[in-house]
Amino acid sequence: MKFLCVLCDQPMKLVAMAPPDRGALSIVYECPACAHRVAMLTNPLETQVVTSLGVQLGPGSGDVAKCPFSGMVQEMAAGAPGTPADAAPAAITWASAALERLQRIPDFVRPMARSGIEQYARERGIAEIDEAVLDHAKDFFGM
Amino acid sequence: MKSYHDIAGDGGSDVIGQVVAKRAQIAESLADVRHMVAIGSGKGGVGKSTLTMQLAQALRAGGSRVAILDADLNGPTQARLGGLRTAPVVPGPRGIVPPKTANGIGVVSMGALFPESEAVDFDSVARGDSYVWRATREFSAFGDLLAGVGWGALDFLLVDLPPGPERTFQYAEFLGAAAAFVLVTIPSDVSRGVVSRAVAAMRKTPNRVLGYVENMSGYFCGGCDVVRPLFPVASPVVDLGIPRLGAVPFDPELAAACDRGATLADARRPALRAIHAVAAEVARLLEVRA
Repeated sequence: MKFLCVLCDQPMKLVAMAPPDRGALSIVYECPACAHRVAMLTNPLETQVVTSLGVQLGPGSGDVAKCPFSGMVQEMAAGAPGTPADAAPAAITWASAALERLQRIPDFVRPMARSGIEQYARERGIAEIDEAVLDHAKDFFGM
Repeated sequence: MKSYHDIAGDGGSDVIGQVVAKRAQIAESLADVRHMVAIGSGKGGVGKSTLTMQLAQALRAGGSRVAILDADLNGPTQARLGGLRTAPVVPGPRGIVPPKTANGIGVVSMGALFPESEAVDFDSVARGDSYVWRATREFSAFGDLLAGVGWGALDFLLVDLPPGPERTFQYAEFLGAAAAFVLVTIPSDVSRGVVSRAVAAMRKTPNRVLGYVENMSGYFCGGCDVVRPLFPVASPVVDLGIPRLGAVPFDPELAAACDRGATLADARRPALRAIHAVAAEVARLLEVRA
């Protein structure tokens, strides 16, 4: 989709985007010639259709194209048998290189990867996950 | 006044650029995969997934490096068939490290991520409209999987497709001409009719269709050691117009082993002999350019 300033016959540029509001987006375009601004307001279905491509819309819109199963993941975590809220597991930190590996895998796999590796580390008394821990886990699980 | 095509770019988000970049990531991820073979049908319930795993087993037994990508995001089965339902996800240097079966077949399946008691449910800000956007979202997630796995050097990447002639066609378009196709049917005329539609749809794509496998082609009775008919033979039989790669009889013991995430050790059983013959034919055809 493109926007044209009819008066100047110039393509307009995306200059701002408001955070999603109940599925609706507000994206502001400006004519570089006359500085006239217009806003494109999408309804939730329009937002959904575009974000289904798995793309980011506009600057700083990372939340829009995040894990497509986040609701499902949260439901599963809430329903999982396990740790009572007052017995939170020991915090595990991630070294930057290991975190980079985690960031490179698809969004929707990341929560499972994180929790699985943290459990692996916790069971072994490991407080920080680095690349060596990931490589050991890979070998341990026969991958 | 300028028209759409007079203006370069899209004003800021570069949606097309992002989609192109994703395609490049997929190509890079698959760079060391020699052959990509999609196993489809058009018809559901004909044993595509079981055949995919058993073909992988046969190719692996021949010394090939093999992995499976389960493209059926909604009804994934490969994690179960590979005995990998509880396999953890480990991030490697080049993406997800594929969990491996006991004999070294990499398997990437949504079945290892979500328990079978859960329906795969995409987030939506527009509840009640999923029929509008769901297929797009599924292909986006499928692309993320293709690009986000460290496949490494493989001789064969088998892609287990969901059912539906239109889905077979859509996956052919998505995977591109590099993916060869094997279609699966059962002997019934109903199944052959649906698969015939898939064959017709595939004619509109540049993909090579290696042929079809007739699955459940008779029933192997282990007690009598004979293969008996399972379906009535129609006359005339619907001609699929593509080569028959082989016929695999139904073997209850193999079915039971698959449910356990295993296979049978006795390679002399008719079903396994047939599957090995199909695997050999697939490998032979792929070495010969169309």
